Amino acid sequence: MGRYLIRRTLFLVLVLFIVSLLTFLIFVKLPAGDPARRAVGRSTTPEQIEAARLAFGLDKPIYVQYARFAKGLVPWPGLFLTEDVYYSYGNFVAVKEEIYRRLPVTVTLAVGAAVIWLAMGVPIGIISAVRKGSIWDRAGMVFALIGVSMPVFWLGQLLLYFFWYKLGWAPSSGLEIGDSIWQSIAAGKFILPWITLAFTSAAFYARMVRGNLIETMSEDYIRTARAKGLAEKRVIYKHGLRGALTPVVTMLGLDIGLLLGGAFITETLFGLPGIGQLAVTSIGTNDFPMVMGVTVLGALFIAVANLVVDVVYAFLDPRVRYT
Amino acid sequence: MKRILKITALVAVLGLVAAACGGNDDSGDDGATSEAPSGDLSGGTLNMAQLADVVSAFDPQKEYYSVTWEYYRCCLLRTLMSYEGVPTDQGGAEIHPDLAAAEPEISSDGLTWTFTIKPGINYAPPFDDVTITANDFITAMKRTANPKANVGGYSFYYSVIEGFDEYGDGEADEISGMTAVDDTTLQVTLTAPTGDFGYRMAMPTAAPIPPLDGAELGAAEGHDKNYGRFLVASGPYMFEGSEAMDFSVPAKDQAEVSGYIPGREIVLVRNPSWSAETDELRPAYPDRIEVSIGGDNDDLYNQVAAGEIDFVVDGAVPPDKIKEYQSDPELQDRMNVYPSDAVRYVSFNLAMPPFDDVHVRKAINWAFDKEGFRQLRGGATTGEIAGHVMVNSLQNNLLADYDPYATPNAAGDLAKAQEEMAQSKYDSDGDGVCDAPECEKVLAITDREDPYPKQSALLIQFLEPLGITLDVKQLERGVMYTKCNDMNSQTPLCAGPAWGKDYADGFTFGDPLFGSSGLWESCCNYQAMGATPEQLEGWGYDITEVPSADEKLSECTASTGDERFQCWADLDTMLMEEIVPWVPYLFDNSVDIISPNVTNYSFDQFAGLADFGQMAVSGGAA
Repeated sequence: MGRYLIRRTLFLVLVLFIVSLLTFLIFVKLPAGDPARRAVGRSTTPEQIEAARLAFGLDKPIYVQYARFAKGLVPWPGLFLTEDVYYSYGNFVAVKEEIYRRLPVTVTLAVGAAVIWLAMGVPIGIISAVRKGSIWDRAGMVFALIGVSMPVFWLGQLLLYFFWYKLGWAPSSGLEIGDSIWQSIAAGKFILPWITLAFTSAAFYARMVRGNLIETMSEDYIRTARAKGLAEKRVIYKHGLRGALTPVVTMLGLDIGLLLGGAFITETLFGLPGIGQLAVTSIGTNDFPMVMGVTVLGALFIAVANLVVDVVYAFLDPRVRYT
Repeated sequence: MKRILKITALVAVLGLVAAACGGNDDSGDDGATSEAPSGDLSGGTLNMAQLADVVSAFDPQKEYYSVTWEYYRCCLLRTLMSYEGVPTDQGGAEIHPDLAAAEPEISSDGLTWTFTIKPGINYAPPFDDVTITANDFITAMKRTANPKANVGGYSFYYSVIEGFDEYGDGEADEISGMTAVDDTTLQVTLTAPTGDFGYRMAMPTAAPIPPLDGAELGAAEGHDKNYGRFLVASGPYMFEGSEAMDFSVPAKDQAEVSGYIPGREIVLVRNPSWSAETDELRPAYPDRIEVSIGGDNDDLYNQVAAGEIDFVVDGAVPPDKIKEYQSDPELQDRMNVYPSDAVRYVSFNLAMPPFDDVHVRKAINWAFDKEGFRQLRGGATTGEIAGHVMVNSLQNNLLADYDPYATPNAAGDLAKAQEEMAQSKYDSDGDGVCDAPECEKVLAITDREDPYPKQSALLIQFLEPLGITLDVKQLERGVMYTKCNDMNSQTPLCAGPAWGKDYADGFTFGDPLFGSSGLWESCCNYQAMGATPEQLEGWGYDITEVPSADEKLSECTASTGDERFQCWADLDTMLMEEIVPWVPYLFDNSVDIISPNVTNYSFDQFAGLADFGQMAVSGGAA
């Protein structure tokens, strides 16, 4: 296992560098305009554009420019996202500062949504599988169909309109001035965003759990467990579910990893200053250092999530061993 | 199974409880002061929202954005001259002495401007024991000239100060044309007569910067990238937490002000050093201004309607809300429509056929369905039909009724258009329809966002009877502007641009849009006006000569007073009747709505949006 972890960690570093290189090349080739010209604004002189180019290091050869950014990817104090390279071309705020400030919002959104979609999706999937063909099963799968079909931005707007604007049951979007994350959670500011984000995933997980459990329940060892006289409940929850939930754990890790890169639609819709919102505005303004920081961070989360999930998988399924 | 259901139910109940606790809260004022006595508008907390953050984190030498300019003018920074924060028809385009004690003295040759500064005005904390002096304005101009500090700003307006460019290039240690004669006298020497120099000294970049231990750039020393996070205020407000800023430690160790969190929130509180007795321009009604950044446009306007927030700084009122507020007598007073001093237009590249022929350009002006374009934008509320190039406030309304191509209902007149086209070299048989290949598949670029694609479809429709067919390319806005600007791209028609003033003088329209100084790689003369034959050849054009307005522009730039207004008006008529570089179609309106909590409102013509300091919320803010 130790050697496996070392190999995977090295591979993770390689993935980050490949992602950073691709991101850099896309920006170099993107026809979105010269970042220096965009930074100096509408009424420019050639001298001002040149000064901006010098300030941003855009006058240097491409490989030198990339090397400056690549150095900032090394996870070492004083190097990682170093502020003399990684600062916004727009407002000159350090990338590190923006990311660290916004991360708690995104983590809260991701984790809270995950709790809800698991709390909704897994029970629905279990009931559907255990009562396959019944009215409960059909209701569960209709829920799943609606959930996976409903666009996030539409659901969010709907929830805001009815539960806040019309009924006043939920708070308005955005965080209150001066409130901490915990205060915002207590004020209910994350309820509608969590539900919005969780709904589609809950539907997907319900289908996945149903399918996995039905398949697992037809395995030989389940028949053996029944033959030994175990109660049906024990057969389902102690033996069947363990096997059925293993793929769910895998998906959960990947989904959380993805969300930690920023659920930009939900964050933008609900005025949550998270990583996703940062990604959207940075891409729109061609703010390369910020985009690089957010992209690499997103890749890091997914890669780490993959690694964690694989390790957890080995503990859940004794048949899996890494060397 | 039962256990799972119980957990699910518990989560649901907790969620509902939390939602109820955080539900719509219409509780009253939480501002610093108690409810204002009747007749007094002061007090309370103004709650606003902004979709996007300011552009350069409040760095005054970088911010080239009208929203930030409003924060500066109303609230954070005082300048030698400034505005009252009222509409044009109430004198909003006029500048008045602010930190200056009186109007500047101008020498007879127009080259020397002398400002006398009001004595005894101090900065906000932590510089509340420091008085604003003449030298502090020189510090601001030094930072404006500094290429590391002025990225994205408008330093080009100050090249007219003697020695400004030399200082910025590192060729001089001082700006030779700026002298602090004494603490309350500032003398500025210009390289050429500049009638609008007073306006330039009303811009936020000219606001004073306090001195600090002899540092070249004062309190901004060491903050080339981000002085806005350490901004020392001089207006009626400051960032919350300003008093905690510590300038005694090295710049890299200083903590940013807590009242501005980029991308998250802006909180302004009263500046204890400010006194209304020294400031006739700013009533500064709210005690506190809180701004949250981010959100969905439609949802934020629902919050305004519900009174949860008072104003959306940079949003666009949804069309259904505009209709609702226009048709409901109880809501009409809460919608404000004012000219934003911006013009929307279609521009011709005068070096590209068929637009090298003035008759073709005039014909298109006649044929243009301006009302159709306006309807596609949202109707009459969105603005006034534009009959000429410059917004009326820049010419003191001298051309308010001038429209040389006026047509019934502004819908275009095909007959007049064809009559004009018949005189063109591209209409060989004089039937009013272009029959030359230069009129086929003419490249036109436009913005890909609504409503520009629909406007392009309309443009295609009314140009077709003139024999002009278009090949329309829709581009991302920034890319569109770059292509229009880049003369190497040889784009004949630019269908999506708009332009707003920087300050209320025709110079902010004239030079950049029509002068040779606005040609590529500068900005924003998309017409190639004033280009030399060498420039045209270098960009690959066959045409060797294009019209120029440089002589008239120089004349207007040097003039002052009523003569200046008349000069800009004369330039406008020359452009519309002789050169015809554009079809201007709309003078944009600013449309906003305010919450029921707002008891006073004023539109600031300078920034083109509401004056935050005049939005009274006494007793009503959430």
